[in-house]
Amino acid sequence: MAVIIEVLGWGGKSQRHYRAEGPSITIGRGYQNDVVLGDSHISANHLRLDTVEGGWQLNDLQSLNGVEVIKNPFADSTASTMVLADGAEIKIGRTKLRIIADSHPVEAAKELHRLEKDVGQLNRFSIWLPLFLLVLVIDIGTLYTNSFVEWQWKNSLSSILVTQLFLLVLALFWAGVGRFLREEGNFLGHYNLILLATLVYSLSGWFVGVIGYNLSAGFLIETVLPLFTLLLVALLLSANFALATTMIARQRWITSVGFVGLILVVSIASQMQQWGEFSPYPEYFSALELPALQIGGGESVDTFIENLDDLFADADRLAESQ
Amino acid sequence: MAIDKTTGRAITFLLGLLLCWHSSGFSQNENARTLFAENKTAILQIRVIDVTSGSKSVIGSGFVINAEGLIATNYHVIQIAASKPEQYRIEYLSAADQTGELQLVDVDVVNDLALVRATDLEAETLPLALAEPPIGVPVFALGNPLDLGLTVVPGTYNGINLSSYHPRVHFTGSLNSGMSGGPTLSESGQVIGINVSTAGNQVSFLVPVTALHKLIAEYQGRAGSVGDMTQRIGQQLLADQEQKFAHMLALDWPTMPLGQAQVIDELKPFVKCWGGSNSSSEKAQFLSADRTCRSEDNIYLSSEFNSGTIEYQFFWLEADKLNALQFYAYYQRLFADFVPGNTADEEDVGDFKCDDQFVIAGNNSAAEKRKTKAIFCARAYKDYPQLYDVLFLQGTVDNSRAAFLSHFTLAGVSRENAKAFARKFMGVAKWQ
Repeated sequence: MAVIIEVLGWGGKSQRHYRAEGPSITIGRGYQNDVVLGDSHISANHLRLDTVEGGWQLNDLQSLNGVEVIKNPFADSTASTMVLADGAEIKIGRTKLRIIADSHPVEAAKELHRLEKDVGQLNRFSIWLPLFLLVLVIDIGTLYTNSFVEWQWKNSLSSILVTQLFLLVLALFWAGVGRFLREEGNFLGHYNLILLATLVYSLSGWFVGVIGYNLSAGFLIETVLPLFTLLLVALLLSANFALATTMIARQRWITSVGFVGLILVVSIASQMQQWGEFSPYPEYFSALELPALQIGGGESVDTFIENLDDLFADADRLAESQ
Repeated sequence: MAIDKTTGRAITFLLGLLLCWHSSGFSQNENARTLFAENKTAILQIRVIDVTSGSKSVIGSGFVINAEGLIATNYHVIQIAASKPEQYRIEYLSAADQTGELQLVDVDVVNDLALVRATDLEAETLPLALAEPPIGVPVFALGNPLDLGLTVVPGTYNGINLSSYHPRVHFTGSLNSGMSGGPTLSESGQVIGINVSTAGNQVSFLVPVTALHKLIAEYQGRAGSVGDMTQRIGQQLLADQEQKFAHMLALDWPTMPLGQAQVIDELKPFVKCWGGSNSSSEKAQFLSADRTCRSEDNIYLSSEFNSGTIEYQFFWLEADKLNALQFYAYYQRLFADFVPGNTADEEDVGDFKCDDQFVIAGNNSAAEKRKTKAIFCARAYKDYPQLYDVLFLQGTVDNSRAAFLSHFTLAGVSRENAKAFARKFMGVAKWQ
């Protein structure tokens, strides 16, 4: 029976492992050992594990810094000598090790979701370049068409840079997470996902704005757009999780929707204190769109004025309720 | 250098003028002294006392008008005591340093007048003038400026100011805070007006004595003080707007051009108008011309609440150097930025309720029809039923290179008057 020595990293995650055969295994910094570790706080001949009934007997070879047993779950506590059972964790020097038998069960393989494969396809420069240019053009175009003073690049440059830098940092963050959790960065994949979400966000904002304007429905913009944005954030998060973590689909969705739900609760809570508060200023739906984006006509002045009675009745109710 | 004949004559004339001025100044001082001495017991300091702290919150002036101890002052002096009688009481302080309690018996909020009554006061009474004095005669405002004691301010009677809907006497003299509610006397010692406000630099306003005659007659006709002051104020506001809008809506509204639009010119005596444009600005990327008209005689209801405001405003915009998207970005910014022209607090009004609709404006012929976006907002008064503040906004949305935007605010108006005004407004102010 072979024994597996796993070197553990941050969070107890296995960084690498050694496989050793035989009744007795030595661990240390010296090259004559079965398992050679580079940690400078480990002695040349640090410890020896002897295969015994129910595990491995731990023998400290008079090491300088000793051996610390962190976890030994299945050990027989009545034994007079220290016997490490399958799955025990020890610390020598600054290195954490897990001792397991080669018969130790491993987790079942996770099914690779179709989305994960598709998302993986995004990690390409040929997709990134057109997406990036499109987002950049939309960003600059929005700034330009909203500017009614003399256009000067220097005034808009910082805004453009900040936006693009934010997207870049976000992509770098996810690539970092991926590098850590899955040992693959997928930087361009994350960047492309974020650019795609930005693009969908800009276009949907514009689209809902035009529809809301034509229907004279300010509430559409106030409710549908934030909800859609949250959905978009959930989708983006889930896709990023798929690319950067080993979560299964259900976990990804629960985490993303949970996060978005948290944002929703926090934003509702922060607005709650303003509910029912008096404002001396009218809140009206002030959006205006170009004639080219308009559908349909309007009502006559007479109809408009006749319908005002409902408005006055609503104003009466508001004054009574406050 | 010898003085020639003409110069000599001119100097004599100037000397004569100086003497005249001096002698008139002398007689004015003399008059002031006499008026002050004769009438000082009839003029009181009116103080509103906070019951909890026992100290004065507001001071003003007032004067005794009959032997039963009826005293006239401004509504704004005693307003907090009228709206919170449990928290404030009204007192007088006489020239002889006597104090005593006053009871509020009637108000006229439209003319900023109040009647209070003292039960234990023995004082001279001031006679009220029956006719308006001629323009240019010297008159004397009396009161307690800044709590400095009784003061007399000489000035000139300049007649009824015709540019405000509620008549106010234009008095050339300096009224200061604390003189509010004090009388302005003619040389013969008759009250010709009640001190009410100042525009600074010797331009001050008085409530004409006719308004006081009317209020006294109403009070005496009723034989007793008003039971519910809030109800009385509400009725006065309702009646005032009814009269004002009946008058205004019956007028043939004057128009003037603004860009390619026709807008409403100055509606006398309700509003005064100003205008401007950005045509002198070299950096301007678009063309903007505007005209704003607003009323100046707002009705004071409390320090946070005034009513009676009429305001209308027009903007003509052309894209000029901007592209259509940029032009609409500016237009939308402007469109989103309208607030009512009067102030009101949570205690006074509810929140605004707004509605927005596309409205086809213009005459029946298809060529003159224009698609507009119209906003109508209303908030109801809490204490005065059937009254609202309304804000209306209408902008054309069928041209990508030019726009006409019109706005009005009416404060303290009934539903029917607001609707009638809106109808007439939309009929007159339009892009032709």
